[in-house]
Amino acid sequence: MNIPNVNHLIHAYRIAPWRVQRQWIGNALLAVVVLAMAAALYLNVTSRTAIAGREIQDLTTAIALSQQVSSDLQTQLAALTSATAMEFRAREMGFRPIEPDEVEYLVVPGYVTPQPINLSSSALPQLSALTIPPEYNQSLLDWLDERLSSPRGMQ
Amino acid sequence: MRQQYVRRSQVLAGVLAFFAFVVIVQLTRIQNSPEAAIFRQQAENYAYEWKTFYPNRGEIYDRNGRLLAGQKTVYEIGVDLNTVTDPHAIAFAVGNTLGMDYNQIMNVIQNPPEGITYIVIADFVEAQDALYLQELKKALNDQAPEGALGGLTGLQFKPHPQRSYPENDLGANVLGFVNREGRGYFGVEEKYNDLLAGNPVQVLVPTDPNKAFEIPRVPDGTTLILTINRDLQAAAEDILDTALGEYGAVEGVIAIMNPQNGELLALATSRRMDLNQFWNYNVVYPNATDFNPVISKTYEPGSVIKILTMAAALDSSTVTPNTTYLDTGAILIGGVTIQNWDRNPWGVQNMVGCLQHSLNVCMVNLASQMGANTFYGYMDAFGLGHLTGVDLAGEAAGRLKVPGDSDWYPVDLGTNAFGQGVAVTPIQMMAAASAVANDGRMVIPHVLYAMVREGRQYNVPAQFGGSPISAQTADILTEMLAISLESESSLALVPGYRIAGKTGTAQIPVNGLYDTSETNASFLGWGPADDPQFMIYVWLEKPTTSPWGSETAAPVFSEMAKKTVILLDIPPDSIRQRLASQ
Repeated sequence: MNIPNVNHLIHAYRIAPWRVQRQWIGNALLAVVVLAMAAALYLNVTSRTAIAGREIQDLTTAIALSQQVSSDLQTQLAALTSATAMEFRAREMGFRPIEPDEVEYLVVPGYVTPQPINLSSSALPQLSALTIPPEYNQSLLDWLDERLSSPRGMQ
Repeated sequence: MRQQYVRRSQVLAGVLAFFAFVVIVQLTRIQNSPEAAIFRQQAENYAYEWKTFYPNRGEIYDRNGRLLAGQKTVYEIGVDLNTVTDPHAIAFAVGNTLGMDYNQIMNVIQNPPEGITYIVIADFVEAQDALYLQELKKALNDQAPEGALGGLTGLQFKPHPQRSYPENDLGANVLGFVNREGRGYFGVEEKYNDLLAGNPVQVLVPTDPNKAFEIPRVPDGTTLILTINRDLQAAAEDILDTALGEYGAVEGVIAIMNPQNGELLALATSRRMDLNQFWNYNVVYPNATDFNPVISKTYEPGSVIKILTMAAALDSSTVTPNTTYLDTGAILIGGVTIQNWDRNPWGVQNMVGCLQHSLNVCMVNLASQMGANTFYGYMDAFGLGHLTGVDLAGEAAGRLKVPGDSDWYPVDLGTNAFGQGVAVTPIQMMAAASAVANDGRMVIPHVLYAMVREGRQYNVPAQFGGSPISAQTADILTEMLAISLESESSLALVPGYRIAGKTGTAQIPVNGLYDTSETNASFLGWGPADDPQFMIYVWLEKPTTSPWGSETAAPVFSEMAKKTVILLDIPPDSIRQRLASQ
């Protein structure tokens, strides 16, 4: 087979109509696959965002309820230990108020007179609502928009 | 053959394209149809809901951390009109449990305002009632399928906080109360309402979790720690109640303060109401001044004011403790003759005897010697006629007539000197006398010890209201008062502790004339005299067993002081001085 014939065959192969059609179909399928992947990714992110959003709503409600329950229990405890209740219980147990002449004062080295209560505590729970990071309420398009419009995104 | 495939493919593609086109056209048509608008409107109804965020109102503690005002959970009970299936069952169950009218509930459910999908049947329902209804709903739903008649489907429960006072009526006059709208009335609740209450915030909340939003930051109210000592308050109220019965008084107060820093440790009043039933306010307190007479009820104090008159006379160098005068039993001032309480002459007396026997003539004599300008200058400096600045709502300023006032007469100089013709509140008298007990420095009485916000505590420093007299005068007068009590073997004395103080017996003006049968009996004292850690004011209104403060208020003071030294761990003078000398 001489060289001119080979070139002729290659040219014929390249311009074969079925080959062009396949190229078009392949490109179209590739585009469909890319779109499907993007849609799947978006669906995945959106569903996770929805689940996280729902969890935030539930947790916020739970926190508010817990705070209410805590306050309620604290008040109940205070009622159970109120002055009237404690005096009643003490009398039932056989105690009576001390008389001034029954008091005996002892010198206790290092004794410090009780001071009023101090309720400050850095460990106290933060009672205000949580700040939700944008990842949990920002759509993909919002994120893209933010990235493109931000100074870094412009560079 | 190949042409056939091409043709079929083209036809198939055309059919599919046409089908796709029809689908798109149909989608567009449906999206923009009137029915779609209705559906969108319906969806909007469920897309958002109004939610009220209630910030927790700040709690109130006593100085030892005992909760005096907190929150309890109550329920709003309502009906979701979209899901309710049997309004009769709901009306019957709620009516029976909460004691409400069946027909009224039915009317509310069946005739709601237009556009409303949720309607409130009852609010501030106690937890036990709400829990009972919740269990009933669950039990009925277990028995019948969802939506069947007889169930309580649609009945909803929304918990929210409500102010609660675990000590009920203890210290009611100090605390005040909060109504259901969350506004504080009287006492600390009103004075510090802005601090205690956060503002409820109503927000339109999307139910779509994709729109998880920034929940508004609702700061909780500030928690307050009071200077009040709960146990001392309980003891004061107990002693006061006993005293009212024992001496037949119609009203009374016992106030206890630390005269060195103005911290009010207890304020007991005879009228007290259960703050958890604040709607009984009008029944318990016919007048607003009855809520806390310690700060808002003015009266003529009588002889306790002689402490201030003597302080002025000593400080202005008008007299010394040893200055003597001849008591003839009567003195003329402003054209009016003033007599002693027993209408008898007491002969030659020094200033200690003057206080010991509570001689009106002596006091008029002192006021005359000082002159009106000096006398009223000191009374003004002691704060008479002015608000003390106590941090409780509803304080009254009292009235001190001075020369130049249209209703002031020269005789007032004399009567004011022994506590008649002048209107004060108990807290004013305590603030004024604190200058004598506290080396000449007058304190500003207060109940706020500290504020707690975001986990941090801010202690409130003591404030002082000037120095009307010198420290030397204060010390001398304290000694004179202590001697006068000891000399007359006063019923106010407390074994083991040196006390300084003064009784007061004032006739009560009725329609411009003094009623000879009814008196205000009082005692103002502090101790230990050399290092005062408590000041107690006792006021008994119209005691019937005896009109005299020395026979009614003085023993109550003693009783209260004995309890105070135990509860405040104040050792007897001998032990304290022995410890100090070591």
